[in-house]
Amino acid sequence: MTIEREWIVLDTNVWIFGLRQEPTRLACFQLLGRLPDFFVRVPRQILLELRANLSHEEMDDFFRLLNRHPEQREISWDKVEPALIHNYQQRGCKLGDATVAAHLEILGVKLLVSENRDFLTEISGLPFRVLSAEAFLEQLDAESSARR
Amino acid sequence: MSVSINELAESIVALAPQEQEELIEKVAALNFQRGLTALSRKYRDRLAQEGKLQQPAAEILAELAKLREEIAAHDYRA
Repeated sequence: MTIEREWIVLDTNVWIFGLRQEPTRLACFQLLGRLPDFFVRVPRQILLELRANLSHEEMDDFFRLLNRHPEQREISWDKVEPALIHNYQQRGCKLGDATVAAHLEILGVKLLVSENRDFLTEISGLPFRVLSAEAFLEQLDAESSARR
Repeated sequence: MSVSINELAESIVALAPQEQEELIEKVAALNFQRGLTALSRKYRDRLAQEGKLQQPAAEILAELAKLREEIAAHDYRA
């Protein structure tokens, strides 16, 4: 499946660096500008983290932004089974990362875009891969070029 | 606005169907970019007021990692 047709999850750090236009992570802002080009799921843990960072009004704007392409967005407020989180914890993940991993597995998402280079690097056999914002954009561009 | 909505609509319906589709896509894309820029500006302005806009990336990542643990611990407390 091409990256443009694949459901992905953007880690909170990608949303936050992007909205901040963090100068050392400009790929994150560029990636947010390309949101109309791909499919994004936003799981509960990421939503809660964003809600803790954004004001009520900013959060409303965030949802409005997602709703501009409703067929390419899925918001999930569902919790995951604690047993699945526990499974990741037993493999060495911290609770928070285990929760994100469990969300991805339940949602059937095979790609997480994250600026945390160490995200679960010590865990083998994950059901998803992790790319930085820059690497994701490179892949997106490569696919666009190949199609032309 | 120099062109009325009615005149604008007349101009649009005079376009070929494919051009109309391209136009609608273009308007949607511009609306999205404006929304993103506006949200980013609003967020950055607030961070600047709070003296947090210049926070180093490593510090932001550390705070987000801490927040992740706290939220998960609260959401899945026994």
